[in-house]
Amino acid sequence: MADTVQEFVFNLTFPFSRTLGSTLSTFASALAQGQIIGVRTGGRVIAPPLEYDPETAADAGTDWVRVGPKGTVSSWTWIPEPTNLHPLDHAFGFAFITLDGADTPMIHAVDAGSESAMSAGMRVEAKFKAPADCVGRIDDIIAFVPAADPSPSEGAGEPYEAPAENDITEMDAFCDLTYIDNASPTTTMWAKALMEGRLIGQKCPQCARTIVGPRGMCSVCAIELDESHVIEVPDRGVVSNFTVVTPVQYHGQTETEPFVRCSIMLDGADAVIAQQEILDIPATDVRVGMRVACVWAPANERSVDDIDNRSRGSGGDAILGWRLTGEPDEPAENYLDRMM
Amino acid sequence: MAPTENDIAIVGFAQTAPDRRTQLTEADLVLHATRAVIADVGLDKSEIGFTVSGSCDYLSGQAFSFVQNTDAYGMVPAINESHVEMDGAWALYEAYVRLLQGDIDVAMAVGVGKNSNSDPSTLYTIEFDPYYLTPLGTDTWSLAALQARALLDSGKATERDFADVVVRNRANAKSNPYAQVKGDYSADELLAADYVRNPLRRHDLPPTTDQAAAIILARGKRAYDFCDRPAWITGIDHRIEAHLPTVRKDITTSVSTRLAAQGAGVGKGPIEVAEVHAPFGFQELIVTESLGLDASTEINPSGGALATHSVMVAGLIRMGEAANQIIKNGKNRTLAHATSGPCLQQNLVCVLEGEQ
Repeated sequence: MADTVQEFVFNLTFPFSRTLGSTLSTFASALAQGQIIGVRTGGRVIAPPLEYDPETAADAGTDWVRVGPKGTVSSWTWIPEPTNLHPLDHAFGFAFITLDGADTPMIHAVDAGSESAMSAGMRVEAKFKAPADCVGRIDDIIAFVPAADPSPSEGAGEPYEAPAENDITEMDAFCDLTYIDNASPTTTMWAKALMEGRLIGQKCPQCARTIVGPRGMCSVCAIELDESHVIEVPDRGVVSNFTVVTPVQYHGQTETEPFVRCSIMLDGADAVIAQQEILDIPATDVRVGMRVACVWAPANERSVDDIDNRSRGSGGDAILGWRLTGEPDEPAENYLDRMM
Repeated sequence: MAPTENDIAIVGFAQTAPDRRTQLTEADLVLHATRAVIADVGLDKSEIGFTVSGSCDYLSGQAFSFVQNTDAYGMVPAINESHVEMDGAWALYEAYVRLLQGDIDVAMAVGVGKNSNSDPSTLYTIEFDPYYLTPLGTDTWSLAALQARALLDSGKATERDFADVVVRNRANAKSNPYAQVKGDYSADELLAADYVRNPLRRHDLPPTTDQAAAIILARGKRAYDFCDRPAWITGIDHRIEAHLPTVRKDITTSVSTRLAAQGAGVGKGPIEVAEVHAPFGFQELIVTESLGLDASTEINPSGGALATHSVMVAGLIRMGEAANQIIKNGKNRTLAHATSGPCLQQNLVCVLEGEQ
């Protein structure tokens, strides 16, 4: 392995739907029709609306008010280099925009062309996506743009009559974050051993427990363990626990059939390695106490690219799985009182 | 003050060396910080009645990271443990409340954050209002900049005032062995830099730090077993404002800080030193004004959050630094402040006193 620290890029992505509740459903359903609304509560119009009065926590009610589409900037900033999560792919502003008819500002993007065009007091107006593309989410408004005509918005401040049933009651969202972690010294040690076809643990000098895979510490004594505490452990052991997973086809799930994942207590170890796969037998035949041996990938096919700080005890692509040895089952007393 | 059995004190504080990019895991960092504080006060870990940490899965990008972090406590036999998805300052608050129950004498509060794994310009989009802000990718730098612009337009401060805060904190940080960003700068050279989010420049933004810190609290006379001059908590309070910054009536002040300061009894006597958690330099101006402090109080001799800023740890470090002013530096009455959320949404204020 290279001497440089290995880094792992991983993307945390998942879709989800949020139910909106009555107030946000009303807002979303109006927005999809090109109408921005607020709610009158405690003597002021809050836009976009909240379910409660932020001053008193009282129910904000359903006194809906038409606001915008024009408004006035009260504070602003400028983003010279947008991120992948920003609504525009060129330099733009974020601003507090008090829409005509509202008493509180909303935060939205201002597509002003240049930083020098931004100022407190500037008049802007909402620029919507094409009607067919509007889904009732805040980014139905692409951005606010400098208002061609600064005069007050027509109809702003007038009551808004909500339909009896809202068209939109849910919102699709998507989380998309990128992380770059780096291999800890302990992770690097484990991955290197896997490439050599060895399993290692760390033996605590205080309590004499052998922790597999190495954690860089004794999680009983709370002391640091390093390379001087590393010992090799046998690649044979006992299934100490298991679960059969029936895959649900959530975002990212590639399995389609029920599969088993086991905890294995290696001979002489005091902590299990978890999430291991048993080869050759149906998931339903796995039982606690089975003796198993490691099936290594051929040396030239081993890979530890997937071994990161989160995969403690995982064999990555260096271990194909575990196979029954045919020995009698291990009595439970031989692997009780050990650690996860 | 003359402490009673119902009084709680900070008796020990340790932090790991701040790192822009550590090779360690959060569990490693927790081990180093807790080992250090336990050794510092001369404690056996079995004497700790309650352990509570503050950290955030989204920082390291690992689900249930706080569970792995507990390996560092040595939990055999099982311990009494808790976790907050907040800065460690709020973990300390929980430890304080737990000690008030009177059945245990010693507690440990921990904060940890491996901040370098993620990008601060995108990560915190998921911290904000999920309906009105997250779909726009509204980022923490932009929200702070909107607050800063409002402060400028109110006439209460100038961009040079912002730079002066940074100059002072970086100069103070020179004497702090645990500072990551320090040195002598002039406001003129700082003001020559480009904006990252107008009106904020790079130096106005918090540094990215990987770090852990731990504090030992003790109740009543037990505090003197660990420390000659405990830092007694004579007031602690925290207040929160609306999640959406735009519904606050005036974003250039901090109502929650003012109320927490009243609750903690800040005004009952002079404050010699205040450690203020202002991730963005200009926020120090808002916080000190809202705390009711004047020029007689020394602000952030450690260099504050501009010297190191590990999210989930920086607030707890303020508690430790303010306590050390009493434990090690002979001060009598100090203040620690911690913040959380967009535009100083939530604020915690703690008053510490030494026995005279």
